[in-house]
Amino acid sequence: MKMGMVIDLEKCIGCRSCMVACKQHNAQPPQTWWNRVFTPGSHRHLTPPAKGVEFFLPVHCQHCENAPCEKVCPVGATYHAEDGAVLIDYERCIGCRYCMSACPYGVRQFNWEDPEKAHVRSEYQEKYHYGYPEDHRHEGRLVYMPLRPKGIVEKCTFCAQYRDKGELPACVRGCPGKARFVGDLDDPNSEVSVMIKQRNAFTLLPEKGTKPTVFYLPPKAKEV
Amino acid sequence: MNAKMKSSMWLSGGVILVAFATWIYQLQEGLILTNMQNSYSWGLYISGLAFFVGNAAGGLVLTSSIYLFGVKKLKPLAKLGALTAFANVTAAMLIVLPDIGKPQRLLNLILHPNFMSPLVWDVIVLNLYALASATYLYILMLPELTGRLAWLSIKVDNVQEFSEKWAKRLAPVALLFAIGIHVVTAWIFSTQGARDWWHSPAMAPDFVSVAIAVGTTVVLLAGALAYGTGEEYQEAFRLLGLIIFMAVCTHLFLMMNDLVIHAWYGSGETQRIMEIAWGHFVWAHIFEVAAPLIGAWLLLQPAVRRSMPRLSFSSGLLIAGVFVHRFLIMPAAYNNIPMTMTPLGLPHTDWSLPIATGRFFPGMSTFIDQYRYIPSSVEVVILLGIVAYALLLILLAIDRLPILVKEKP
Repeated sequence: MKMGMVIDLEKCIGCRSCMVACKQHNAQPPQTWWNRVFTPGSHRHLTPPAKGVEFFLPVHCQHCENAPCEKVCPVGATYHAEDGAVLIDYERCIGCRYCMSACPYGVRQFNWEDPEKAHVRSEYQEKYHYGYPEDHRHEGRLVYMPLRPKGIVEKCTFCAQYRDKGELPACVRGCPGKARFVGDLDDPNSEVSVMIKQRNAFTLLPEKGTKPTVFYLPPKAKEV
Repeated sequence: MNAKMKSSMWLSGGVILVAFATWIYQLQEGLILTNMQNSYSWGLYISGLAFFVGNAAGGLVLTSSIYLFGVKKLKPLAKLGALTAFANVTAAMLIVLPDIGKPQRLLNLILHPNFMSPLVWDVIVLNLYALASATYLYILMLPELTGRLAWLSIKVDNVQEFSEKWAKRLAPVALLFAIGIHVVTAWIFSTQGARDWWHSPAMAPDFVSVAIAVGTTVVLLAGALAYGTGEEYQEAFRLLGLIIFMAVCTHLFLMMNDLVIHAWYGSGETQRIMEIAWGHFVWAHIFEVAAPLIGAWLLLQPAVRRSMPRLSFSSGLLIAGVFVHRFLIMPAAYNNIPMTMTPLGLPHTDWSLPIATGRFFPGMSTFIDQYRYIPSSVEVVILLGIVAYALLLILLAIDRLPILVKEKP
């Protein structure tokens, strides 16, 4: 089993629902976003950079097979789970942020301060907590905590806490356009494998040699 | 101990205390007290690591010159070289501590090391070099560990001969670790395919040449401060000046060679790097080139080497230039977002995906692709504390241990 994701850019409407679902479900502190949706070529989201070329690009951890973040981690806190997901052990991370420099996709986020203090600083409603409420262990390692310790790095886990219960990641469930798919890349007949072959799927920054397991299906030209 | 030395020691001690208290404060509040953020995740502290590692090269130059190439003139400076090397390599390790988000978990480096990580290699080689410099210094001091210091000594038949023999044996080993710290520290950056500014095979040899330049300058300055600029030391200083000048030239050649090759091809990445390196940072860039060059050229002049103020100024200029060079490791790496693409349907357009800052800055967007990093006062104070640590260690050792050669060379 090698898990992979396919994002159909033809179906993505740029609504950022996946960003918000991801942020809420994973209790991300203020200013921390594991998942970002932007309009390529434009400095303003949902504003076409040129007539007829608008499309939207969601980017989160690409769960690379040749993951630079995993290789640089001095303590093995970033690791490949059995199913191919790249996870961070919150108990192991020493917070050196080497992985943040090494990741070409800019998906890694540091806890610059205690999340409770960050809530106050950003004027969140008092005692307002959101997200999956319990610590979660995957293969024995602590990969999710609703309140992160300060000084560690975090990023997308493909929603390890939900997948271990047989549920889909929050971004997949929360997508109104049904643009996201997860499946087994090892199985040539899986829905994702077939889509990758038939729809000319591409990966981000292939020249970096990271071998992402997140694939994108190109959009057709759009009327804007 | 003269009054100047005493006041320097008190001042260094004071700065260390303030810096330590500042670090405790930073431990409590988190790295929010620095001005780093997610898209600019290493700053003054890691520049400091590269700076101190470079300064530690003095030991390497002296040991290899004296014991591998037989340059006896430099012998009075041998212990000073080993001492500045030890002080700077330990300073390099210390400056990493405040950069670590969870320093209380540092034991994980020993419990769960990932040997693929160049950071692990660096920890190993820095420790080995610190150990080698300390051992080397001890062996050189051995013949003079008498009287009050006799308890530190070991029993051997002919202590002078023993010291000489083991110094010679240790020299190639120390040289290996010495080159290792520069190469491996450079690899931390240059192995990163994500960052075009760093991803260059020129970085490791460049680190070695910068280190030989600045490390030798540190020894020259320390030597002049300790012994004065008397005629009997001029031959040694002339040699060091020559080494410094050649190393600076090699460094500038390696740096420019890399830039020319990339600039000539003119890829999008290089254009963005050039805009940052020679746009916002043009004055810093001019300084990083001019200051070491002018400093090294001045040190070639006999009149400069004979005057304490001029020698100090020239050395200081070179060291400052190298410090700025170390600071400039970061901006062109972090302000050039690796996730830059040509959007479908828009050929010849480069577009960078903004990164979430991870912390609140009043009046600033959460998602940014450019960031003007200026170190916070906390970062500056902690860096100064580490400089003060190196200074205090050197002064204390000179005061308490037989570092300086008493008789004329």
